Amino acid sequence: MECMVNGKGKSMTDAARKLRISVLETAYRGGDANLQSVFSSIEILRVLYDRVLRITPGTKDSPNRDYFVLSKGQSTMGLLALLAEKGYFGEEELETACQYDSRISMQADRTKLPGVEICAGSLGHGFPIAAGIAYAGKIQGRNGQVYVLAGDGEMNEGTMWEAALFAVGEKLDNLTLIVDDNASLKEMLDIGDIGSKLENFGFDIRYVDGHDEEGLFQVIARPHIGRPGAVIARTKRGYGSHILMEDRSWFHRAPDQEELAQLTEDVKKFGMGG
Amino acid sequence: MKNSVSRMIACYEDTVFFLIDIGVYAFQDVMKKYPGRVKNIGIFEPGTIGIAAGTALTGMIPTIYGISPFIVQRALEQIKLDFIYQAVGGNFITTGASYDFSTLGYSHYCAEDVATLKTLPGMEILVPGTPGQFTALFETCARNGRASYFRMTDHCNKMEVDVEFGKASVVKRGSKVTVITFAEMLDAVVGACADLDVTVLYYTTAEPFDYRTLRENLVGDRVFVCEPFYEGTFCQDVLKAVSGRAVKIGGVGVPREIMRSYGTKRDKDMNLGLTAKGIRAKIQAFIC
Repeated sequence: MECMVNGKGKSMTDAARKLRISVLETAYRGGDANLQSVFSSIEILRVLYDRVLRITPGTKDSPNRDYFVLSKGQSTMGLLALLAEKGYFGEEELETACQYDSRISMQADRTKLPGVEICAGSLGHGFPIAAGIAYAGKIQGRNGQVYVLAGDGEMNEGTMWEAALFAVGEKLDNLTLIVDDNASLKEMLDIGDIGSKLENFGFDIRYVDGHDEEGLFQVIARPHIGRPGAVIARTKRGYGSHILMEDRSWFHRAPDQEELAQLTEDVKKFGMGG
Repeated sequence: MKNSVSRMIACYEDTVFFLIDIGVYAFQDVMKKYPGRVKNIGIFEPGTIGIAAGTALTGMIPTIYGISPFIVQRALEQIKLDFIYQAVGGNFITTGASYDFSTLGYSHYCAEDVATLKTLPGMEILVPGTPGQFTALFETCARNGRASYFRMTDHCNKMEVDVEFGKASVVKRGSKVTVITFAEMLDAVVGACADLDVTVLYYTTAEPFDYRTLRENLVGDRVFVCEPFYEGTFCQDVLKAVSGRAVKIGGVGVPREIMRSYGTKRDKDMNLGLTAKGIRAKIQAFIC
């Protein structure tokens, strides 16, 4: 079911809504979450796993697979809910989130969970690693494309720009950086537009509404020959729930049982015109 | 080092070798022959180590060569998170040792490399004292799936010892004290102990530490540790090895101070008492 949001023609698909509700449940079970940050990247994750990435649980170790590297670790709960939905592991395992022996956590561990390419957590690591994966793909003649999801705040890290220099220098057109630009940088030092900086470095740049799945698919799937690509996805923190979008306290906390019910209801109503 | 690394590059197509703008002249031939797999990346160590880890995640075996503080300290988080946490293997070869770049000042010294890397679980730390020892250790460890650090020095020992990964060598047997030493300090220690009634153990694998050889060769009730690194780097290992026994522990090493002197490495050794003569006097005092 497609539906209008705020009368601006934005939409939230049923699949995106379902993923958000699954994340809320996981956050409640785990007792910890970065819900605003996860919610801003839901459509990006959906498009990648529903339409772009050539990976399945059966091909997750194939050398020619596409790679998805989650550099902004705060979106981990969204990734894990999606991997469970796609059958990398049982969805019931999400209920064990953050327990002592669980494989499900705020920041996934690649040595524990199938389908997770890197252990994230510290910002500024995923993109250089992804550049290395893409570089290895080039020199070994592999086919897969390497997609990285970073946050705009993460672009403060020097290593992101080191990797950017390398990716351009090595003409890594098998590397696509997606920046979940949820305006985190606006609250920090104003470093200006990330897209124009990456463009000056030599990236093929596209801007897109990060909550428009069709638009995202068009720009993410478009090849960029001879140079790395970057998609600047304009998003909103907490998108998909008015409560999360408006109340800053949700940056890092988990819902209690009552809040879980409120947030779930809020997600269900979001964009439904009521 | 050049021969071992060049051989690995030629023999194994899964090898990548990144130079951090050092050794470019020495490796020019393999750089030309294997332009994709051998590369002078330039001077951004954290990014380079992350990129190397990415190649390792695809099954390649990366080796990085640079100056010790710029790899161990500038990029410590990348070694910890991109190699150790991801559980991938690779090799870090450094030059500079504790203060080989004596004229360049504190920025280029790294007497703390071994102590720092010993905080990373599973990191292999190799401290050869001759090119032959480097070769033996590199050939054992370079492709074993672990992160391995090879600390190289320009001031090799004249004394050659056959070494084995993970195992200390008994260089001399005596009865009063067990003296243990590492890397380029062997010559000075052997000189110091020439006419002393002591056992000398030589370690070129700093991690995993060989507790067993130390336990089996404890003589008297004393252990004297000679470290060409910050003093006390191996304190915890020695304590663990002698656990349950009343043992007196002493030693010499590089003091934990900011070094603002220049001169040669030899000048620094003399001033710090890290010469055969200086070490001998300390051991003699320790025996009494």
